[in-house]
Amino acid sequence: MDNIISIRDITYTYPESGSPAIDHLSLDVKSNEWLSIVGKNGSGKSTLTKLIDGLIEADSGTIEIDGQIINEDNIWEARKKIGIIFQNPDHQFVGATVEDDVAFGLENQGVPRPEMVEEVNHALDMVDMLPYKTRDPQSLSGGQKQRVAIAGVLATKPQIIIMDESTSMLDPKGRKTVLDLVKRLRDEQDMTIISITHDIEETQLSERIVIIDDGKVVKDGLPEVIYDLGSELTKFGLEEPFSSKLAQSLRTDFKLPEGFLNEEELVNSIWKLSSKM
Amino acid sequence: MNKLILGRYLPGDSLIYKLDPRGKFLITFYFIGIVFLANNVLSYGFLLLFVLFAVYLSKINLGFFLKGLRPMFWLILFTVLLQMFFTPSNDPLWSFGILTLSKEGMIISAYIFVRFVLIIFVSTLLTLTTTPIEISDSIESILKPLKAIKFPVTQVALMLSIALRFVPLLIDETTKIMDAQRARGVDFGEGGLIKRIKSFVPILIPLFVSSFSIAYDLAIAMESRGYKDGEGRSKYRILKWEKRDTVAAIVMILITIILLMIRSY
Repeated sequence: MDNIISIRDITYTYPESGSPAIDHLSLDVKSNEWLSIVGKNGSGKSTLTKLIDGLIEADSGTIEIDGQIINEDNIWEARKKIGIIFQNPDHQFVGATVEDDVAFGLENQGVPRPEMVEEVNHALDMVDMLPYKTRDPQSLSGGQKQRVAIAGVLATKPQIIIMDESTSMLDPKGRKTVLDLVKRLRDEQDMTIISITHDIEETQLSERIVIIDDGKVVKDGLPEVIYDLGSELTKFGLEEPFSSKLAQSLRTDFKLPEGFLNEEELVNSIWKLSSKM
Repeated sequence: MNKLILGRYLPGDSLIYKLDPRGKFLITFYFIGIVFLANNVLSYGFLLLFVLFAVYLSKINLGFFLKGLRPMFWLILFTVLLQMFFTPSNDPLWSFGILTLSKEGMIISAYIFVRFVLIIFVSTLLTLTTTPIEISDSIESILKPLKAIKFPVTQVALMLSIALRFVPLLIDETTKIMDAQRARGVDFGEGGLIKRIKSFVPILIPLFVSSFSIAYDLAIAMESRGYKDGEGRSKYRILKWEKRDTVAAIVMILITIILLMIRSY
């Protein structure tokens, strides 16, 4: 698979801060990959999102998107390939109704109206929000708002979707619907997903996890490998996954297989133990 | 805040709602203009009947319009009383010092009262039947000719629609901040004037800070969705001028003609 994003040795320091938010960071993202970027608050995750989308400019280093190094001339082209869903659904609505908001990205691209109407309906249908088309975004629940935001991103057909802590303000049910939706979309539309979060439980759908701390990549690996770090995760301000904590406390009394067990594996091994007794 | 009827939108589905907002907007202003053509009982009666008919067509309860009068009550009372007692007359019914009460004065104050009611009813009708976003759309298309003198019409329109979009959000924010400050013991609406003004500081400062941070987030979100400078954008919302809008315009012309005929010179 090709790299859709490759970041080479970028550094970024906020004007008002002394230490760099991103410190000589390099990262490759493969096409159609689901990558999770985790790290504690202030580790530079959101800054990285803004750098990738060219919303802020790196002090040094290069970012390549779909084979093109981004600079001031091609940033708008690159931005068309990236859709970002932000943390607070309330602050990313531009339109006064759901359909207006979904159409905003298309309006910016100068898409003619008949095409827009079709795209908007299609995008809203994909996220199952078509009946809410004419509603005021303010009257929707948090999960519904994020679905509308996803529709807005989908309407412009990006290759990459970045979720910048998009589920952190949702309740468990809203979170689940949004994550399931993104998973379904990726399978159907062949998109690359970068999910940024500080909750390790949210990385379970991903294929690769990158931990960043102090603006640097400190761990990069398959989920099993990362989850197996166990208590080492707390060093980076992260919590251990629930199944790993449970397995840990069971291991003192019972003989469970070594290595990381996800929920299903844990359930199976507990069943095995109980049938042996 | 929910007491204020003026400027509020009431969802509905009658004929008046379906009219093109641009037409409604212009007609409202035009109507306010021609109200000043009326100068006798017949012409005022005619306009009043017309407005009541429009209210009837909107299928909105008359009570909402009467509530719309409420914030203007003191102004109306003040103007009417002033006219009633300070109109000079050769044949006063009653006079005391500079105060005179005469038949002419009473008629003029009745006219002024009707004039107030007409203007307030018509503007309430506009805001009750037109969503804020429709109003901002019509302002945009009415301002469009100003593009010729390099007036940034698209930007102003976007600014208006964002401002309108944020009114409910900021009201929510204000209520939340007020509750949070109440939970910490701030007492709103108590004590003397100075104390009351001071108690607004803990609302205003967080509100300012949060509106700036919302603005920043929104700007980032807009830019990431490809917003450059408003030029070269297409429009999703379109306004359609239909037969009924032409009819409404013709009705206004007829009203002007009738008014010119029945007014006294």
